[in-house]
Amino acid sequence: MSVRALRRFAAGRALARRLRLRPRNRLTLRLAALFAFLGPGLIAANAGNDAGGIATYSSVGAKYGYDLLWMMVLITVSLIVVQEMAARMGAVTGKGLAELIREQYGVRWSMFATVSVLVANLGICISEFVGIGAALNLAGIPFQLSVPIAAVGVWLLVVRGSYKAAERVFVLMTIPFFAYPIAAILAHPHWGAVAKASVVPHVQLNSAYLFLFIATAGTTITPFMQLYVQSAVVERGLGPDELNAERAEVVSGSIFANLVAGFIIIATGATLYVHGDHTVNNAADAARALAPFAGRFAELLFAIGLLGASLLAAAILPVTAAYVIAETFGFEKGISRSPRQAPVFVGVITVLIGIGMLVAIVPGVPVIKLLVLVQVVNGVLLPVTLFFVWRLAANRELMGQYANGRTFNVLAGATVLATSTLSALLVAVTCAGLF
Amino acid sequence: MELPATIEPRVLHLSLVVGGELVDSIGGKLGRVDDLIVRLGDSDYPPVTGLLATVAGRQVFVPAESVAAIDYGHATLRGVQLDLRPFERRPAEVLLKKDVLDRQLINVDGARLVRSNEIEIARLEGWYRVVGVDVGLSGLLRRLVPRLLAGKIETTRFLDWASVEPFTGHVPTVRLRVPHPKLARLHPAQLADLVEAASHQEGAEIIDAVGGDPELEADVFEELEPGHQLEFVEDRTDDEVAEILARMEADDAADLVAGLPEERRELVIESLPPVQRRRVRALLGYDPATAGGLMSPEFVCVYSQATHAEVLDRVRSSHASTDALSWIYVMNSRKHLNGAIPLAGLLQASPELTAGEIAGTPQRVRPAADLEEVARLMTDYDLTVVPVVDEEERVIGVITVDDVLELVLPRGWRRHFGLLGEDY
Repeated sequence: MSVRALRRFAAGRALARRLRLRPRNRLTLRLAALFAFLGPGLIAANAGNDAGGIATYSSVGAKYGYDLLWMMVLITVSLIVVQEMAARMGAVTGKGLAELIREQYGVRWSMFATVSVLVANLGICISEFVGIGAALNLAGIPFQLSVPIAAVGVWLLVVRGSYKAAERVFVLMTIPFFAYPIAAILAHPHWGAVAKASVVPHVQLNSAYLFLFIATAGTTITPFMQLYVQSAVVERGLGPDELNAERAEVVSGSIFANLVAGFIIIATGATLYVHGDHTVNNAADAARALAPFAGRFAELLFAIGLLGASLLAAAILPVTAAYVIAETFGFEKGISRSPRQAPVFVGVITVLIGIGMLVAIVPGVPVIKLLVLVQVVNGVLLPVTLFFVWRLAANRELMGQYANGRTFNVLAGATVLATSTLSALLVAVTCAGLF
Repeated sequence: MELPATIEPRVLHLSLVVGGELVDSIGGKLGRVDDLIVRLGDSDYPPVTGLLATVAGRQVFVPAESVAAIDYGHATLRGVQLDLRPFERRPAEVLLKKDVLDRQLINVDGARLVRSNEIEIARLEGWYRVVGVDVGLSGLLRRLVPRLLAGKIETTRFLDWASVEPFTGHVPTVRLRVPHPKLARLHPAQLADLVEAASHQEGAEIIDAVGGDPELEADVFEELEPGHQLEFVEDRTDDEVAEILARMEADDAADLVAGLPEERRELVIESLPPVQRRRVRALLGYDPATAGGLMSPEFVCVYSQATHAEVLDRVRSSHASTDALSWIYVMNSRKHLNGAIPLAGLLQASPELTAGEIAGTPQRVRPAADLEEVARLMTDYDLTVVPVVDEEERVIGVITVDDVLELVLPRGWRRHFGLLGEDY
């Protein structure tokens, strides 16, 4: 008798009975099917709307209003192109990106990627726990209390649960993101101006504008997203026949994530920018600054969004690092595995969450400096990851009939080149700023 | 299995051999060694059948016959002439660096997947052969540090090639031509674990490799998780699926059929042999979370007036699993269950007695009973088998303890392979 089938069957029956579910029509069924399918693509893209992302988007809105909205459209297209390739590779090869890089490009490149991911993800992980502390601090809960509780919760979710259960929770964690559209509406933006700014490019040739431009690109397309989406597609056990559904999931997930980012820009653009408050230092600042213009409710919504985003990213980033290390060195891996079955995988997650939590409760952590470092590491890693994603997805020997088509390959190459250039610029500008 | 790296003859590390110079017999430099070619399959330690080298910007094949020696930094030719032939793959040949290094292998002794960090070569029985793979840190480190330091890193132990099976599905010409004889040493449950841990292509390769033995293939399928079962029946025809199902235990076969897409289900059932078809049909009528769905229709049930010898004969000729045979059921003339005999009890009983005289009071469950009820009954009465009866008290199937144990075992206890255990 098959264990998993039976558990699933029994659980499904019980749930249906409890909810008295009787699908009425095709639409309900289809929506249910879509919800059941939400997963890697949505999670990967949304984990990018974390504390650092919110700070960047808020700055964009506060400083330039809606002027940069048009580029969010372009970035969304780029993100979709890249994420689709990674998800497709996962479904076709059944292997993670780090694994493929090692098999096709050798151990040095995969070690470079592994070390970079480990450093960058640890840095971001710390900033997520700082974000959790800051969000709950807005509600008057001291971070010395909230951060450890959150860390233990995240750890239990990732280590103790099955993949399916953890994925469900991750998907549910995207619900707080709906706070941003509501906050944007509360901010009463001029919707006509928003629509115009989304399609008409608006370029300023000064360094501050360009810096925010490339910082936005850098925070929206991050290496962990490709690594996570591919490994998660593998762990989900998707094959080539489910490719179209997974593609739809990746596309809708990326669009959703960038709509959220757009609404953050709109919310701050309609308030802080209009009232001349042009500087935002971090996500919690943005929430506080919003209150006088859009009301206490908007501040609360921003805080909820920040909390959800930070929790999600605090879970996804350690998991991604663990996937990468396990794939590179050939250790047993998977969210469904217990600590005894996959000690290294679980160990990496535990260490990252542990360090993230400990550093975050130490008062006076230089979060901004930390994020700058992370930005540099990610900026160096991104061109490498994207190049490999592009070349591997075009590799006929590996992908067979699912390799990139000719037209798509040119589009993908252009995307990789453009994104990598922005990323290299960001590194150059950041390093120039350091010295 | 463990091999000391200090054995004579000297062990060469692949990463220090490739990239070396190709020189002729008088020491003139011709080009660079890119890769080593070996032929898999016919011996425990695959021989090197040639080199892949770059000479004057072109990639050429150097057959083993024209190579005198292979060493760190250089490979020496027998003569001064080099026949410039382009490389073509021949059957069962793989490139060590491109096709084996950095990839997954099956460690047959440990029944687990490993990744090769280094490949070890030695001159055995007159020629260079692959003797093992290093899955440890030293092999990895050697390839990360600059070449100058790399020679200083020694490998102390590595995995003997005799206990390793490489995956070859990604090598175009070798595909499915190389048998994996070592896999036959593994238990079906271990093979299933490997299939589940590997990627789809690698999993398919393992299943293909055991396909030569249909009984083993069916056993592996029984052990696979439902998701993986379906993954591997997808690309097979209805007849091929039926062939596997015919050899599986009826209850496992019914589960697999239940998971098939609806349009295939009936076609596959139609292709089954009549006996199995009847059993699967009967089982499919029951809810899989109840006794009816858990039970197996193969068991021994005798009339109470049967003699001791007759009962033993029935046991002897039965095709039911040994677990199911550990209890024999006794019915009256109206086929109502009225007794149960443990196999050991039967053997100890005096041969003059009839089945009805030996039998004790039977326990039973209805098809609608849930897992908990079955498990409780087994615990309360120390039973390894519980009969399932219909409304008229007729035995329609038995549930064996292994089917129940599998379900009540906490998550995570079942898979035990793949710990960060010792490879050596």
